[in-house]
Amino acid sequence: MIAVRFHGRGGQGAKTASRILGTAAFLEGFVAQDSPIYGAERRGAPVAAYTRIAREPIRERGLIVHPDLVVVADASLIPDPAARVLEGIDERTAVFVNSPLTPEQFHAQGSLPGRLTTLDLTDIALQQFGKGGAISALLGVVAGRLVGLRQDSLREAIVRELADLSLAASVIERNQAVAFNCYDAVRPVLVEAVAPQPIPPAQLQRPTYEPPTRGTARISAAANSVLRETGGWRTFRPVLVPDKCNGCWLCFVYCPDGVISMTKDDKPVIDYDHCKGCQICVHECPTDALVAEREKEGGVAWRAK
Amino acid sequence: MPWQRGTFKKIKQIPSEEHVFPGTALCAGCGGLEALRLAAKVLGDDVVYVNAAGCFTMLAAYPFTPFKGSWLYTTMGSAPAGAQGVRDALDVLIAKGRLAKDENLKVVVLGGDGSTYDMALSSTSGALYRGLDFYYFCYDNEAYGNTGMQRSPSTPYGARTATSPCSLQHPAGTMQEKKDIFEIWRAHTPPYIATVAPRYPLDLEEKFARAAKFTGPKMFLALSACPTGWLYDPGETPEVAKLAVETGLWPLKEAINGSVTHTYIPKRKPVEEYLKLQGRFRHLFEPARQDEAIQHIQERVDTYWKQVNG
Repeated sequence: MIAVRFHGRGGQGAKTASRILGTAAFLEGFVAQDSPIYGAERRGAPVAAYTRIAREPIRERGLIVHPDLVVVADASLIPDPAARVLEGIDERTAVFVNSPLTPEQFHAQGSLPGRLTTLDLTDIALQQFGKGGAISALLGVVAGRLVGLRQDSLREAIVRELADLSLAASVIERNQAVAFNCYDAVRPVLVEAVAPQPIPPAQLQRPTYEPPTRGTARISAAANSVLRETGGWRTFRPVLVPDKCNGCWLCFVYCPDGVISMTKDDKPVIDYDHCKGCQICVHECPTDALVAEREKEGGVAWRAK
Repeated sequence: MPWQRGTFKKIKQIPSEEHVFPGTALCAGCGGLEALRLAAKVLGDDVVYVNAAGCFTMLAAYPFTPFKGSWLYTTMGSAPAGAQGVRDALDVLIAKGRLAKDENLKVVVLGGDGSTYDMALSSTSGALYRGLDFYYFCYDNEAYGNTGMQRSPSTPYGARTATSPCSLQHPAGTMQEKKDIFEIWRAHTPPYIATVAPRYPLDLEEKFARAAKFTGPKMFLALSACPTGWLYDPGETPEVAKLAVETGLWPLKEAINGSVTHTYIPKRKPVEEYLKLQGRFRHLFEPARQDEAIQHIQERVDTYWKQVNG
């Protein structure tokens, strides 16, 4: 059995990539299982999805703790403890990272063990689609290439899964074309099944009950959500071009998260620790004084202080 | 006579102080959060939020809260009942002299459309019937968003959701019409009801300021454009909200003691412009255009505004 774990940010397409991989494997006659982590999936928040591929029926369920291949859609997730990218990775795990950095550069940083291969899918998407948000087809095909699936089955899987998201036929075709450029471009690394880990017998846990006054979760702090930095959610950051700003306040008014404040002379100040990068301010600025700039590698990671 | 804003005339009158702090786990570009943040600028910090389970569960993910005031979490069906309990407790404390009158708090229910149109309908009706002195803030993103966009009674005809996909039997997706919760509320004749859209911030702020003068239920229906569920780029949230209003699909109105006033009369662009922007309606245009379904949506809007304009 090959166990593949996808890490991405909500909206990047990690879940759909996992489905494309699973469907392609199924079309080739494998037994396949794919599932995203159920929970508070949020645009920009760390998400994970799991695909298992085997010749024989798969008895294992749940999260993949010992992956054979890890696909990382956003390198800023690697140092993020909430994303748990590094969990169960050792020097035998194959790891793909969507990044302009080379495997050697990652090794030099010492941030990632494993058999590394990288490709800048976001840049390819930006060049080809004009936006770098959803890269599910690219991720799915790269994962398929690494585990050794055929082009024809991946092609069919993209059609099925993207049509399921009601994307237009022309968009799906475009995705296929770009994805197969990535299929050819990604440097393959060995993906091999690790021996199954023995699982210790489960212990029955008996919960203890408390009266509601003690047993109910309580927060005795005011506005402490600011301790959680959501700046790492961004793929693009809004940047002010001060000369163009006419001081109209619209960016401040429309920002859902309230991370833009106005100075005394009516210029916006953006709190990059919390800006989620939704680009509403960029879209709504009447004078184009706010522009979107791609986040540099290793930007602010989501972290709790 | 056109509706006049008394307090909020210029964008720069919107208070710069924040009352919903960042760091929440709500989606980037959330239209519901955009509306709540603007509403809270009038509501202030002296508030007890009673939050029905839904997307806004993510506001106060333990152990963090974005509010300086209090936040109480309830099941989807019982937020108005929770609000009654909080209101009663505050009233008892004030009557006993244990809470000063000027330290009184506003009680504000936060509920999504799944809660508001569906599960909490009976407890809302009860609160309206009893004349409970509270605010009700419904962030309406027209589906059960927190669990992955399943159809709710607020989902409009023609939208594709996880539980109303477009199929050979139902090529348009959702076959039901959106429940008219405004009229259901209005049948109870509460002192104040309003619809708002965060793309029209002065209209929104003005309505919250006006509502403050009334004792009893103050009901708000906030258009909450949803990039995750409606399938458009998060940066287009205000644009989608704008087109919802400008096509006439989301009328901006208020009802004082049951008497309705439209606070903004749109020139009414074709509904297509709004539908085309969102992935949840894409099947109406591709691969084959579903003229009948689009026409149906347009006709319903036309009928609505014909009644408004007399």
